[in-house]
Amino acid sequence: MAPPTDTLVDPATVALLLADGRLPTGGHVSSAGLEPALRGGMPAESIREWMIGRATTVSLTEAGTAVVAAHLARRSPGQNTTAAGLDAVTAAWAARTPSPVQRRLSRQLGRGYVRLATAVWAAAVGDTMNPRGPQPPRSVVLGVIAAAAGIEAASLVRLVVYEEAQAAASAALKLEPQDPLLVAGFVLDACAAAEPHVAAVAACRRPEEIPAASTPQSEGWTQAHSLLTERLFRA
Amino acid sequence: MPDSPSRSLRLGIAGPVGVGKSSLIATLCRALGDELALGVITNDIYTDEDARFLRSAGVLAPERIRAVETGACPHTAIRDDVTANLLAVEDLEQDFAPLDLVLIESGGDNLTATFSPALVDAQLFVLDVAGGGDVARKGGPGIARADLLIVNKTDLAPHVGVDVSAMVADARTARAGAPVIALSRHDPHSVAQLRAWVLALVDRHRSGDHTPIDPGPMAPHSHAHDDDHDHDAHHEHPHDADDHHDHG
Ligand SMILES: Nc1nc2c(ncn2[C@@H]2O[C@H](COP(=O)(O)OP(=O)(O)O)[C@@H](O)[C@H]2O)c(=O)[nH]1
Ligand SMILES: [Mg+2]
Repeated sequence: MAPPTDTLVDPATVALLLADGRLPTGGHVSSAGLEPALRGGMPAESIREWMIGRATTVSLTEAGTAVVAAHLARRSPGQNTTAAGLDAVTAAWAARTPSPVQRRLSRQLGRGYVRLATAVWAAAVGDTMNPRGPQPPRSVVLGVIAAAAGIEAASLVRLVVYEEAQAAASAALKLEPQDPLLVAGFVLDACAAAEPHVAAVAACRRPEEIPAASTPQSEGWTQAHSLLTERLFRA
Repeated sequence: MPDSPSRSLRLGIAGPVGVGKSSLIATLCRALGDELALGVITNDIYTDEDARFLRSAGVLAPERIRAVETGACPHTAIRDDVTANLLAVEDLEQDFAPLDLVLIESGGDNLTATFSPALVDAQLFVLDVAGGGDVARKGGPGIARADLLIVNKTDLAPHVGVDVSAMVADARTARAGAPVIALSRHDPHSVAQLRAWVLALVDRHRSGDHTPIDPGPMAPHSHAHDDDHDHDAHHEHPHDADDHHDHG
């Protein structure tokens, strides 16, 4: 795997950058499903369990999507999403993401990552995104960035799981004020729960291998939430 | 990041809650709708009320008014991470091409929030007379360095005991002479002034003669000013808790 052409940053450092909630890619509009859950009636006492649930279901679908995208992007560096086979990854992800609201949000977050990638990894991913192809979700773009930056598959899985848990945790502090140190612990609990799955998800190579782990209750909440006139987060 | 010079002028409207930003946007849509192709983005904190207010005002086709959620981070959405707003602007520009002017209302929460030039080409900062005659003098990045300062709701001045001309004079001093307009939506002359200012700016933008400036982020710690020991009267403090939240 070639390092990014214009920098010599260690892949682990790039992973830290990508996991940082303050990264200017528009992530702050997402509660990673938590606001919909709370507004849908989930008690605040269940936030930790809910985060664990998400880390072992939807987050693994997202992670598997990123891993397969990274694998394909690595094999066809510099080719656009269509030529590299990434449109099939986007299709597989969409089939596993039943909520249209969630798909729209993920695609918007994907655009935020494309902006970042274009600015920072111009040489490696500059022309990768085919504006005429289907709009890739965040996980696919993240995979392309991971390929350019040399982030290996297992780290990529952990990155996706962590990022989602962290997004929910920051949202929790705005939605259900409580001890932030406690909530930081929830993030680690969620990541620990995903750990036994990391190797299997990191081994995904083809779109059909992406875990299909949908969560109908959460998807329903997300759809209902999008119709509320009072909300802090997009979903 | 000015991309194509032929794209719309992106104009931010900042200022605390309740000073009349949404109303000013409605006024601008009425005053300019016949000659400019317009779009509006709102950044409410809790609701899409501003977008709904503007749609129901009937000043612009409802689909040209879009609300952006800010995840309880209205500062972030117009400065530290403008992604969500920028994508909304680009979508509007694409869906209704060619647009002349996109107005972006900040989810105003206090005096310190200003737009980043990564999002807007120019910005108005809005104060109202009801906030008191002293506000303009106290300054801050938006008051001092926005492209235009609006002293709004001048029709209320007699009721709140504010001397508009003194407030405008203070504002001009704080701004080293940069433009200030005393506005009331009930005063057609003031609306005409605002309209003329915006049209002139659109012209400068089109001819490439306008350079976006950054009013700067939150003011530096105000204790640093030796001439400012008036802390009791100076609650607008850049380090209060609200400015320090985490933008996850
Ligand atoms: N008297 C008077 N009231 C105004 C004027 N402009 C706005 N308002 C009122 O001020 C209140 C807040 O206005 P709004 O536009 O929602 O403020 P925003 O929170 O800054 O968007 C509303 O009740 C408006 O009707 C004005 O020029 N004169
Ligand atoms: Mg408003």
